[in-house]
Amino acid sequence: MAESEKAESKNKKVLRREFLTGSGAAIAAGALAITATDSAAAAFAQPAASDAKPVAASTGYLVYDSRLCLGCQSCMFACSLTHEGEANPSLSRIQIIRDSPSFTKYPFDVVMSLCRQCVSPLCVQNCPTGACYVDAANGNIRRIDQSKCIGCQRCIQSCPQRPHRTVWDPVKRKSTKCDLCADAPFWSQKGGPTGKQACIESCPVKAIKLVATPPNQTDIAGYDINLAPPPPKMGGFGMGAPGAAPKAPAAAPKAPQTAPKTGGN
Amino acid sequence: MSYGYAGKILKINLTTKEITPLDTALYEEFGGGVGIGAALFWELAVVPGDWDLQDAFDPRNVISLMSGPLAATGVPGAGRTSICGIAPETYPTPLFHRTSLGGRFASMLKLAGWDGVVVQGKADGPVWINIVNDKVTIEDAKRLWGLNTYETQGQILNTVSGRTRFGEEWNKVGNGYTTARPQIVCIGPVGESMSRVAALIHGSGISARTGGFGGVFGSKNLKAISVIGTGGIKTADPKAIVDLRMEHLQNGRRGAQPGAACCMPCVNPDRRRDSYYGGESMCADQYWSREHGMKAADVAIKWGICTWATKFGGAMDANMPNAPALFKGKVPMEPGMGWYIKYLYELGILGPGKKIDSYPLPMDQWDTLTYREIFCDAIARKIGIGADLAEGIMRAAKKWGRLDEDLNSGALRLPAYGASWHHTLPGVDWAYSYILMSGDPIWHGFFTSLSGGGGFGGGPQQTAEQVVTKISAKMVPFSDDPLMLSNCWKGEEARKTGIYSEHKAKMVAWARRFAGFYNEAMSFCEMMLPSLESISPDIEYRYYRAVRGDGKTFADTMEVGRKIWNMERAIRVMAGRHRDHEQFAPFMYMPGATFKIMTTRPVYQDGQWSFENQEDLYLDRDGVELFKTNYYKLEGWDQKTGWPTRKTLEGLGMKKVADLLASKNKLGA
Repeated sequence: MAESEKAESKNKKVLRREFLTGSGAAIAAGALAITATDSAAAAFAQPAASDAKPVAASTGYLVYDSRLCLGCQSCMFACSLTHEGEANPSLSRIQIIRDSPSFTKYPFDVVMSLCRQCVSPLCVQNCPTGACYVDAANGNIRRIDQSKCIGCQRCIQSCPQRPHRTVWDPVKRKSTKCDLCADAPFWSQKGGPTGKQACIESCPVKAIKLVATPPNQTDIAGYDINLAPPPPKMGGFGMGAPGAAPKAPAAAPKAPQTAPKTGGN
Repeated sequence: MSYGYAGKILKINLTTKEITPLDTALYEEFGGGVGIGAALFWELAVVPGDWDLQDAFDPRNVISLMSGPLAATGVPGAGRTSICGIAPETYPTPLFHRTSLGGRFASMLKLAGWDGVVVQGKADGPVWINIVNDKVTIEDAKRLWGLNTYETQGQILNTVSGRTRFGEEWNKVGNGYTTARPQIVCIGPVGESMSRVAALIHGSGISARTGGFGGVFGSKNLKAISVIGTGGIKTADPKAIVDLRMEHLQNGRRGAQPGAACCMPCVNPDRRRDSYYGGESMCADQYWSREHGMKAADVAIKWGICTWATKFGGAMDANMPNAPALFKGKVPMEPGMGWYIKYLYELGILGPGKKIDSYPLPMDQWDTLTYREIFCDAIARKIGIGADLAEGIMRAAKKWGRLDEDLNSGALRLPAYGASWHHTLPGVDWAYSYILMSGDPIWHGFFTSLSGGGGFGGGPQQTAEQVVTKISAKMVPFSDDPLMLSNCWKGEEARKTGIYSEHKAKMVAWARRFAGFYNEAMSFCEMMLPSLESISPDIEYRYYRAVRGDGKTFADTMEVGRKIWNMERAIRVMAGRHRDHEQFAPFMYMPGATFKIMTTRPVYQDGQWSFENQEDLYLDRDGVELFKTNYYKLEGWDQKTGWPTRKTLEGLGMKKVADLLASKNKLGA
């Protein structure tokens, strides 16, 4: 990365951090610009995050390995198929972003963007209607009840991660987010923190895993962990050049920090 | 609701600048991919009747980039982009050819609301096509002309995505949102100058590497097509797709990783390949220049050259008895242009000041990456020997007066239509497809499955009889005939039950129908599926049913495959194809024709099945003629000409095709 780009990147992070820590409304620059409805406008008068009560921690978290991920988007299609009944990556609650067709070198070419089920969930705390809530019946996962969602996008603006992990459905004009498949109408398995998740099950390289203990919340290192099995032996067509086995993932440099280091959650 | 399809096909006439959406429903009878591409070619390029279909660079040539209905539905490996049209690379004349590329282009087209893009005409100056959901514009590409494929995609990326940093934000695109980047297919300098060996390039390392379609883009002044979309695809049974996905992961692994919701079954090692740019790189390209692996592939991709017929090496070498002495019996599996000029150099025929002047190629640096760069540059700018090489290896060899001698000796191992050797034998189904199509079928369906699980480096784990019984049972509608899998090539048995028999015709027919429907229309990666020794064709069919839900049986889908095959046949016949043209190069009839890798095949002889090592297999001229007669008969084509008959075409609902062929006196009797 050129020096000027580094400096620009640093400035961006500082700006975000200031924004996130300095404003209870937590409306991040660059977030979706949608004209607020009357009810949504009223929502901005609601208590800010700093006034919110602590909530119970989730009993399930998705951790992942961005060096192991293929960038194949199987999880994204599985997520939207099981939740929406439609193959639609834009509605997937997990976003795998591969710098294609640009030319970023491994391991900086893939960004995995998963809901962190934050211990202090700003999306829940800033929701004016209670649509975004802690589901005590399902291991305290953070969910959105779309029947109560008024489309104000406070949850999206509140999300301290980049890209935001709450997802906007521009057709329904409502927010949605990862529920660990607790409510996935097109999923044949039992979901939720004690069940199976479509993203994990459809991943060909097991780059996503469910854990019960809250990962370190301060940066992405708690979530983006090493899940790699021993490097497979390569051979034959489609499996790489003979003798060109991949380097051990553990020795590879860390994936880019796409979330601000002081995430505020 | 027609599940699986986006519903519209984008037709662009670059001459008139007309942008027209076509209703996909009108073409669904051809499945998708090459099937719909061929049907569109017939309608837009053949029916008007104002063109002899000979010149690939004619503005009337129609090139389509099509998806299949399984792309962008979550079905792994089914997102390939199928490309077809008249291809400049084939020999002796340009032929209707199909090729494909992986990556995300087809899936993104679907998400933008399009099942494909079909381009005709010629722009009056350099242009690129910008597709943002349903908004399509033809943009000026003057500033992109001359740039390599990496620079081109970078510039378009900045134009479409603005300054949003990769991986940091959602982008608003039209009325939707996405975290994805636009997907681009483009050409490099080799395509701009209308070389016959130019590829279409996608991303940092994916190419459509046969046919030379990059030159067709160049002839249309079309630098690139970019697409970004934010929509979705409705499927008949979303729950079943995810269940099948899990089942496939647990049961089906053969070489390629069944890992992609788009088409990138090979990406597992690609992220970490030793390439300067990293990223998505197709395994085949890394063998363009084996010594340099992905670093050389970067060169080829950057310039936009076809890595197949221009190869410097090959995936592997074999000890060939009739190889030139200079190479100590070792010949690469795909000996292309790069290897051939080294061969001529070693013979003292090609070089500085020699009969074939090598200027500007530094032949003493043949092994270096610098040489590869100069090689591409010379072809792109048609400097010195580059002008000959830009015409493709067959035309260059002919100009140099070498073609007959080198095809006879086997020094130039191009079995048919200028396509390189690549597994043509001992699997005769592969070889016959060369002459029946327009070159290398690149279809590995029977490649490993008939070796009894032997695969690379292992021996058979089942008896030959077990293998042929198990696999033939899956080959509807010919499942009652295991003899079709016998690769017996010697004596009368070869004519009765072996490689020239009416039984073998069924195997070839099955392969073309299956490949036509599942690999070319449904766009499944052929390295991933079929996996006939394990989960195929069941898994492909169940994926199809889960997406489409149209009630077709497996046999019905194979009939669509037959229809696509006949559509392709009709186009080739209109372009002049005749039985007499379906010939192999002379070396295929000589000892040493077989590539000595994976040569174990099941053989039926004297009433018994056995596995036989067929390293010494070569073809018999009369035998091949007998096979052609048997095959045409099975397909319902005229045995004298190889042309489809009215009965065959009308039986497939293609009366109009039969009428047009009849009007040109090209309908089989």
